[in-house]
Formats: sequence, structure tokens, C-alpha cells
Amino acid sequence: MGTESMKQRLLQTCLFILTICVGSNAHAQSGVESIAAVSPKVVKIFGAGGGQKLHAYGSGFLVSPNGHIVTVWSHILDGDTVNVVLHDGRRYQGKVLGAEPPLDMAVLKIEAENLPYFDLAETPSTVGSVGPGTRVLAFSNAFKVATGDEPVTVMHGVISAKTSLAARRGSFESPYTGPVYVVDAITNNSGAAGGVLTTRDGRLLGMLGKELRNTQTNTWLNYVMPISELKETIDQIVSGNFSKRRNPDDEDSPGKMRPRRYDAVDFGIVTIPDVLNRTPAYIDRILPGSQAEKVGLLPNDLILFAGDNLVQSCKLLREDLGRLEANDVLKLVVRRGDTLISVEVVAPRKGDE
Amino acid sequence: MIVRMVVAGVLLCLGSLSVLAADGKLEAEEEQAFKQAAALVDPSLVRIETVGGLEQVGEVLLGTGPTSGVIVSEDGYIISSSFNFVSKPASILVTLADGRRFAAKQIANDKLRLLTLLKIDAAGVPPARPAPRGDVRVGQWAIAMGRTFDLTTPSISVGIVSAVNRIWGKAIQTDAKTSPVNYGGALVDIEGRVLGVIAPLSPAGNGETAGVEWYDGGIGFAIPLEDVYASLDRLKSGTDLLPGLLGISFAGGPSTNVPVIVDRVRYNSPAQQAGLKTNDRIVEADGEKIARVAQLKHVLGRKYGGDSVTLGVQRGDQSLSMELALVGELIPYEIPYLGILPKREASTEPGVGVRFVFPDSPAEKAGLGRGDRVVKYNGADVADTRALTDLVGRGRPGDTVKLTCLQAGKQAVLEITLTTLPETIVGELSAEIIEKPVADQAVEKPAGEKPAEPAKTGRFTDDLAGHDHSYWAYVPEGYNPAAAYGLMVWIHPGGDTMEATMIKQWATICERRGIILVGPKADQVARWVPGEAKFVEGLVAHMREKYTIDPQRIFVHSHGSGGPMACLLATRHREIFRGLMLAGAPLQGQVGDNEPEFRQQFFFVCGEDDKALATVKKTVEFLRKVKFPASLTTVKGLGAKYSANPEIDEIGRWADCLDRI
Repeated sequence: MGTESMKQRLLQTCLFILTICVGSNAHAQSGVESIAAVSPKVVKIFGAGGGQKLHAYGSGFLVSPNGHIVTVWSHILDGDTVNVVLHDGRRYQGKVLGAEPPLDMAVLKIEAENLPYFDLAETPSTVGSVGPGTRVLAFSNAFKVATGDEPVTVMHGVISAKTSLAARRGSFESPYTGPVYVVDAITNNSGAAGGVLTTRDGRLLGMLGKELRNTQTNTWLNYVMPISELKETIDQIVSGNFSKRRNPDDEDSPGKMRPRRYDAVDFGIVTIPDVLNRTPAYIDRILPGSQAEKVGLLPNDLILFAGDNLVQSCKLLREDLGRLEANDVLKLVVRRGDTLISVEVVAPRKGDE
Repeated sequence: MIVRMVVAGVLLCLGSLSVLAADGKLEAEEEQAFKQAAALVDPSLVRIETVGGLEQVGEVLLGTGPTSGVIVSEDGYIISSSFNFVSKPASILVTLADGRRFAAKQIANDKLRLLTLLKIDAAGVPPARPAPRGDVRVGQWAIAMGRTFDLTTPSISVGIVSAVNRIWGKAIQTDAKTSPVNYGGALVDIEGRVLGVIAPLSPAGNGETAGVEWYDGGIGFAIPLEDVYASLDRLKSGTDLLPGLLGISFAGGPSTNVPVIVDRVRYNSPAQQAGLKTNDRIVEADGEKIARVAQLKHVLGRKYGGDSVTLGVQRGDQSLSMELALVGELIPYEIPYLGILPKREASTEPGVGVRFVFPDSPAEKAGLGRGDRVVKYNGADVADTRALTDLVGRGRPGDTVKLTCLQAGKQAVLEITLTTLPETIVGELSAEIIEKPVADQAVEKPAGEKPAEPAKTGRFTDDLAGHDHSYWAYVPEGYNPAAAYGLMVWIHPGGDTMEATMIKQWATICERRGIILVGPKADQVARWVPGEAKFVEGLVAHMREKYTIDPQRIFVHSHGSGGPMACLLATRHREIFRGLMLAGAPLQGQVGDNEPEFRQQFFFVCGEDDKALATVKKTVEFLRKVKFPASLTTVKGLGAKYSANPEIDEIGRWADCLDRI
């Protein structure tokens, strides 16, 4: 056998093995490969701000081949235009195409073609199994470390939890109040908002949120808004069919003062004097002939829940009762000794209604 | 040749690709393993909610959010981090993984490991499976779990075990993120066994909130669950578990990198009962060889009061073995008292001259008089005042000691039964005479050296180099560097430096009793901030450099709203301040244990019409309970204003007695 044919056979074999490798690789894409694919879809944004406390930079991601960019709604967009810098250093003027402050989101447009982008049509069906423990990658220009033709920063971690940024009692002071992923990595820093979270194999999960303090634990929260929550609005803005919604949460937002309709005494409950910041809602007296007496509440019972809300103090009880409407049924859970007792009361119709 | 190159090239290509493929597969499998491990622990992890309680403890603002706990027995015992209960909540609620909700009782606290045991009225709940302590390896996966964000699925943070046996053997360290989000939750291995209960800990601090500042910082701790199970029965009985104490201090001071040589043995402590003595060297503990204090702390660090330890001790050529039962609380140290003021002299004569004998004191009863010299204490030579203070401090009230004295040139041995420092302030005390410095007495300096600038006297204002702060001072006009002076650090109340008042009230007393008065000014006169303690510390060091100051007589004095800053200085810098004198302000903060190394005396003056009086009285009671010398003078007809004479004179006498023995 000649050396030439041996060479050829060897080459063939090698190429064959190579093909197998590449083929099998597609099923278990590694983080390294995902990063190479995702990085070009994330952009650096420079805009208004730059004072002592307000950074003038942020992150965004492409959702169309012709320059639609999703980012967070922030002061950076206050000017008429922003500068958008792609991973390869190309620089464009971006204009705000539309914004939805309740979702803390805006869509920008740059004039460019054939850009790498996240195809939102593909995303929702593929993320069902994502939950605590799922490995994720976060891409953003936190602290504007990347400039010019440098791709954005990548961090790795896992999904720590799924929770909701419920506006109730101002635990989280964020305009966005929907479900979020909490990430087990310090993803939310200056300029990171508008970046993306993907799975280990590069599927888009959501947009990194702003810096946010969790007042329940006095810790910083690293959170991501799922793309499924944003997709509909993004599509509308991109297609030009968007009209601003009235914020459905406006009425419940903690900043808005509403008349307090009900008080504990309307149910025949007198709590102990509210002298501390966190005075527990102990029942001091029950008014004779009242609803509270009928359902069997007693002095010294400690009110723990009003509906689903934990009542941590007299102040919070007043807030919860204040929100009731006439004829609302309210479940109260009280602690008597070491047992929990549930009762139901109905908000009475008041004379002036 | 060409063939070889081609093959090599393809193999190289092949190699890197297969590594990537394997990476992807490994990543996916590991992810699966994290989720499975978490799922195994899930049912044993509970959510804890509290109602009522404090908003802030120390500098830590407490959250109101839910926290986590780990089930440790089928009948409803739950262990959690004590951090979750520092707010002293009125009520505690526990929610199980299946959503059932229970009222919980706080059964007991483990104050060594900073854990709290709760009980709910449930049966058949799944206790967590512990990972054997010996199996834990640095570098293995560690998953931190809490049940605060979402009731149905616990939160997960993935890291590794960073170290074992941390914080004197008590904790596993991890780089998984630990914070109030999962304190009380579980640190889990990849097999779904619980390594430990997540808790904030700090090698330096020891309160429930120490270490919280490190949240999410890559340094987290968990108390091994095996250790929790080992002490569970004791906790179930409802008594708090306290760190086990021996009752000794070491010759090397607070350093842990020194041989274990016993310095002091506290009265009535396990060490004393077992017969440990000063200069004994501990060479073994529970069979482990001990060369340094750190090693001993590793052995003792995991023990509770009531636990025992076997020590191997070297005393001279003798090797001893003794078994000690550790205690949770030591009986507080009480400063023993002879009843004399030593002469403040740099004498070449042996012993300590007696400047003053307190009326009704043990010294007076034994016949000691002014001008006598104490030369021996229990047969041992007394070099100077410091040595005598130290020797007396090593005894205890009630001890009878032998003092060898020179009385009018003759030697006499007096038997004296020690008592404790009295609370009353002596009514009459003539000042020690300080001679005026004579100009030509100045020490001759070698040629070429500039004569030192004479230290400033009288009233002056200056800035302290290195600190952006100024101060004022009053140094007695007759200042003589050959005599030792007391130093009064005046912490002004908020909004008023009171400089003029202080000079007016104090100048004559300072002259008479040899006290230098220094008044640091807060950057914002309106209020002190804790960080300014550094400046005051620097100012004291500066004054000690410039003037001859007796370290036994440096004290802090304040009035009204200056109280908290004065307390902070006196309690944090026990090595500097020997006394704390507050007019119209109570004690605040933690004083620590009374220790012979840090003799501190307290004096409070308060107007009977001052609203602060009740708290002042309480703090005096507290100080006396923990055996600190604390005096109190109440003033008829005085409100919240600064005192005038005769109280100022009394404060002067108190300050003049800080070096009493």
C-alpha cells in the first residue's frame, strides 16, 4: 500500500471522527460555546446621566436583525438619542421607539441590518423546566467595563429562586411588580440593567433588572424579569401597534393615598395601643354584640393573618383592613396560646355608602 | 512527516472539541445533581415568620421578611439561626414545605453555635439527614438553601465547601451565598445530605448579628448538623447552652499565637477548682498536643458549659493531668481593696509609699499610716505601685494577706483582710503636692541636641495632626514634667463644647489635684459620630506624648447627650480609660466583664429632677451586680443641667483616687 492511500485513509478516519464529535456536541452545548453565540447580541448603551449618583451607561439586547434593542426604562434614555455600541465596536445613534414604564422596559431602534439577535418567537416554549438550580449565564456591561469593540461581561451562576416583586407594603420599590428570577450571582450592578440572562446553552430567559434592595431582608436583590412577561409589549412596540396601558397597579401602589374605609373597631376588635414601630396586633377588647364576638375572637388573641397577608404589626393590620370594600369576606388567623384559629368576618356596609 | 503533522493537527482539533462536548454534558449533569440534592432536602426545610419585635439591633437593621429553619425531629423540633430571632418577636410562625402552618414555641438557644430551637405541634415531619462530619472535604459542592422567596420551592445558591472546622472548630465555611435570605436554612451536599445550618458568624465578633456584614460576600458559615443532633437533647430540655469557660487568661494577652502559659486564674472558676496555677503550661487537651493558644481554643471552642475537658499541664518539672468541668458563666471578678493611695513618686527607696489611708479601710484597721512604705506583699518584694496593684488584684475580697511595711524606719508585718473598692467617695482628701519645676533643674542635654520645646500650659486650642479635628486643653500652670498627672477627656454634649464652663469650674481643681483637662471637639459640634473615637484615641496618645501622664488616671468625663460617645470610648478602649464619669447620663452599650487587666471605675452624678435619673440608677445597679466599682451622687434641686460645686469637687476627689489600691 502506498503512503498516499494510507494518508488518505487516515485523513478520512480523522474527518469522520471529527464529524461525530461536532454532531454530538450540538446536544450538550457548553457554556463556552453559548457565550460565543450570545455575546454579539448584547449591546452597550451610553446616554444621559453621569452625575455623581446617576451612571450614564447601561446594557441592552437585540431582538431583530434590523436594530431593535430592548433595555430597561431609565434616566439614561432621557435625552433624544443614546449611543449604542455593538460587540464589534460599531457605533450607532439609538432612538427610543417605545417604552412601558410599568414593565420598566423600553425598546430602542438603530439603523442597521443583518445583526445577530434573539428570536423572541422561539423563547417561551423552551424555558418550562427552568427553576432553582438551573445553571445560567448573565451578560451585561456592568460598571461599563467593556468599551469599543469589547463584548460585554459574562457571569455564571444558578437560578436561586422564582418569586414575585409584589408591591405590597413596599418590600421592593420597583415599578415592575411581576414574577422574577432571583439569580445566585451578583448580576445587578450599575449599568447591568438591560442585559440578559440565558440558560447554560444560550436560550434567552429574561432581562436583568436594576439595582434593588429587598427591604424584607435588607439585602440587595439580583433579579431578572422573564422574557415571557415582556414579549407581548416588545412585539407591539416593534410592530408599531403599541399604545400605553394604564398602569393596572396604580390603585394599589403604596404611594397613592386612598381613604381608609375600615378599622378593626368596625368588626368589634380593639387592639392594644400602638406604641412601638412593630406593636404586635394583640386584641385588647372585643366589643359586645360585635362580629368579632360572634365568631369567637377573645382578648389576648394575636392577629397573625388578614387574608393571605402576615400581620406583623398593628400598623399593617390597619393597612390591610383599610383596603377592604363593603361585603368583602376577610379570613383572620389568630394565635391563642400555641394554636392557630381561623375565623371569617364580613366588611359591614357603612352608613355613608 | 506530513502524515504525522496532519494526524497531530486533527487530534488536537478532536481533543479540544471533545473537551467542549464533555463540558456541556458535565454541566448538564451537575445541574441535575444540584436540583436533585435540593429536592431531597426540600421537605425538611421550613419557612419562619415573626410578628412584632425590634427594628434594629446594634447597627444592623433587621428585616421583617421570612427566614428559614431545618426540621430535626419527627415530633416537630426545628433548628434555626438565632439571628432570625434577635428582634425578640412576640410570636413565631412556621410553615412546612407542604403549606401547613403552625404556631411555634422558642424552646432554647445555643449561645455557643448561635442557634435557636423551635417546637411546633406536629407529628411525622421529616427530619433532615446529616452529612457525617468526617466526610466533609474542602472543595466539594455545597448548596445553600432557604425558604424565604417562594414557599413551594426553596432558593438555591451553589458553591463549594471553603473550609472545615472554622471559628474555633464550630463551622463549615462556604462560598455559596449566605444572607438573611437563607440564614437558618440548610447547607447541603451533592447527595442531598445536610452539611449544616446556615448562620452568620464572625471570627472576631460573637453576637447574633456578627458576620451579617459579610452577606453574599463569598464567606458564609454553617453549623454542622451532626453537632446540632449531638446537643439536641440538651436543648430540648429547655435550658440555653452557653459556651464553656475555663476561667484563665494567658500570659501572651489576647494573642493566640503564643504558648499556653497560664497568667491569671479566676476566683471560683473551673481552672481554680482544678488547681491550675499561674505559670502552668497547658501542653495537652483531650489527648491533643497543644503548643499554642489557638490550638487550645480549637479544642475548647466547640464545648459548652457543663462539658468537660482533660488538660495535660506542665508545672516546672512536674507533669499533671486534670479534668475540668467547664462552666457557662464565671462569677464576676471583683477588685480587692487595701485602702491606700500610693505616693506618686519616682523613688529610689524600696516599695510603695503611702500617700493616704482611707478611713475605715482594711489598711487603716491594720494600722497602716500615711508615710509608711509597703515593701513586701505575702513575702514577695514589691518593686513599685504597679507591682503592688497587680499583686493585690490577683487576690480576692476576703483574703487575708501579709504586708511587710516600713513604719518610721522599722519593719512591721501587718495582717490585712482585703475587702472590695467602696462606693462612697472619700469626703476629705488633701492633694498631693506637686513641686514647681525649677528652671535650672532642666536636664542637661548633650551638645548639638536642641532643647525640647517646653510643653504648653494654661488654656490653649490646637489642631491634632493627622485628624481633621481641633481640641482645647487646660494644663495646670504649675505643670512639672517630673510629676505624673491625671488626664480628663471631656466629651462635650451635642451642640455645646462647654469650654468656658469647664475651664471656670475645673481650673482650680486641675491645678490642685494635678489633672490635665483636654476637650476634643466633634467635627459637627451638634453631635458625635462613632468614627470620631479614632480622633479621641489619637488625642489621648498625643497628650501622653507631650505630658507626663499616669496611665492609671486617664478618664472620660461627659454630660447629657455626650454620654453615649463617652461610653463608647470607655467600653471600647478599656486599655486606655480607667474611669468613666457621667453627669446626667446613664451608661450605654456593653461594658464586658470586669477584669484585673482592665481596672475601670465608674461615677455618676445626676440631678434628682433629671429625667435620666431612673436609667442612671439602673445602670449603677447593673454595674454593681457585675462587680464594677460604681458610685452615684444625686443632687437635690438639679435638673438636666451640668453640676456645680460641691459635686465638681467630689468628681475631682474621685479622679484623684483612681489609683487607689
